[in-house]
Amino acid sequence: MVRAVFHPRSAYAPSAGYRLLPLRFGRLDEHAYIVTNDVGEYVRLARDELVAFLERRLDPNTSVYKALKSRHFLYENDSSVAFDLLALKYRSRAERVAAFTGLHIFVVTLRCDHSCQYCQVSRQSEDSTAFDMTVEHADKALDLVFRSPNEHIKIEFQGGEPLLNFPLVRHIVERARKQNEDHRRDLQFVITSNLSRLSDDVLSFCKEHGVYLSTSLDGPADLHDGQRPTRGGGSHRKTVEGIHRVREALGPDRISALMTTTPRSLSRVEKIIDEYVHLGFHGIFLRSLSPYGFAARSLVKRYGVEDWLDFYKRGLSHILRINAGGYFLREEFTTILLQKMFSPLSSGYVDLQSPAGIGIGALVYNYDGAVYASDEGRMLAEMGDQTFRLGHLDEHSYEDLLTSEALLVPLGETILEGMPMCADCPFLPYCGADPVFHRATQGDAVGHKAFSAFCTKQMGVLRHVIGLLETDAEARDILLRWV
Amino acid sequence: MFRDGCIGVTVDVRAYRLSAVQKTAYRLAAKCTAIIGEVREHSLVVTLTFAPTTGEREALETARLFFQELLDQELREKVGEQTASLRALILAHAFSRTSLPPRG
Ligand code: SF4
Repeated sequence: MVRAVFHPRSAYAPSAGYRLLPLRFGRLDEHAYIVTNDVGEYVRLARDELVAFLERRLDPNTSVYKALKSRHFLYENDSSVAFDLLALKYRSRAERVAAFTGLHIFVVTLRCDHSCQYCQVSRQSEDSTAFDMTVEHADKALDLVFRSPNEHIKIEFQGGEPLLNFPLVRHIVERARKQNEDHRRDLQFVITSNLSRLSDDVLSFCKEHGVYLSTSLDGPADLHDGQRPTRGGGSHRKTVEGIHRVREALGPDRISALMTTTPRSLSRVEKIIDEYVHLGFHGIFLRSLSPYGFAARSLVKRYGVEDWLDFYKRGLSHILRINAGGYFLREEFTTILLQKMFSPLSSGYVDLQSPAGIGIGALVYNYDGAVYASDEGRMLAEMGDQTFRLGHLDEHSYEDLLTSEALLVPLGETILEGMPMCADCPFLPYCGADPVFHRATQGDAVGHKAFSAFCTKQMGVLRHVIGLLETDAEARDILLRWV
Repeated sequence: MFRDGCIGVTVDVRAYRLSAVQKTAYRLAAKCTAIIGEVREHSLVVTLTFAPTTGEREALETARLFFQELLDQELREKVGEQTASLRALILAHAFSRTSLPPRG
């Protein structure tokens, strides 16, 4: 008998049947559905195409079939390559969980010279040093930082205004760098500051140690100053001067700015964006207001998520026009979502993780030695809700903190894949669990997504962005350059 | 029929499974509260109850959405059934030979 060396020609013909790979689907708009898979790929389909696909009677010669096949939504009966590829991509996306905490936030003081209307922490007047972190607590926190297995460690200084306790910032940076001679991590520092206390001394220190700065810029002078009052006024002027000084001393990319949307900002998105362009920034984060802190709560009540979505959509089209005119400017929240769609690696953005980014994404060392699972968790504690307080530097070890009920219970509850509504949602791969937001607004970490402003925002933004990607070639071109 | 702030809809349990009805009710919770009754002769009566401020047109539109969503949920259940073991297999494959849980 002759042994067959080659398969017969028929073995290479298109397969007669296909099977479904794990997927989720849902409505994108009145006309179309979207299917997504666990690794973030998606295909837009008409309803009859979707039904034909799910009932396994889609014609292999159609472009939809080819798209579904190449993006791992179906596999032909004789192929196992799809499994391997999917498994590999899934693993890359999940790597973040194994890497563990990369971001460590030090609240070095609660003192501040501003009294912003949306401030989430109960800031203290400039001279009450009782609200400063002690050197002992800073040293204990630093020991915890290096217990984290992450290769990339970012230490971020927050407040209050961290430059009001600059000696401690200096101490932490120098000690961390010394300790890192043994640990050899990729170590970064960021100071989040209103820049009113920016001195030559601070600048030369930042230069010497490669420290980045991040500031708040809410838009044009009248808007910014109206929202961020300070004694003697002129917050906007000082911030702009500070931005120029940082760029001159440290280089153009050493400073970034963040805006917060209040009811006053809603009608002025174009002006806010223009201000960023005018100051030479190439990124802007159209941030919605968080419901933490008493003042913020009353502001949040004055505008709903639909108002913010309208603000965002108008802003995004303005940003796209600016890009079309030749100036590169990306919207940062959109960019995070695009990375989740088009990059094999997961984004590190703490608010959009599953399981939630608390603890795994960030740890917060408060001025008084308390340790929180996220910055928002600390803000919630300022309002009297200690749910996300993991423990205290004087009393608890690294193991105690990271195996505390306050961390493990919400982490277990907030794996999107097991959460009602999210488990079936096509936007799941681009979304995240935000247990602190849901605790603050609905009283529990999971929340009912039908009533969740977080969910409405996610769905609204994603439908809009995917709609642009699918129906507007010029917008798609620009958006893909942001990834 | 919209009466006393309620609409009763009947679901054929030969076409839709209970889990699909429950997920549909959950998803529409912001628009109405769905009270799921008992199954009689392949029929399940679901009473959609509305807030006093809801008008008839809005309520009828929600009832239409209920069936639209139910169709999708039933399809999802079927897909889930077909792919659940594959999902488990892919995850097992993804995490074989990894360093999860965390090192150190
Ligand atoms: S929060 Fe909303 S958008 Fe996000 S996965 Fe859950 S249901 Fe989907």
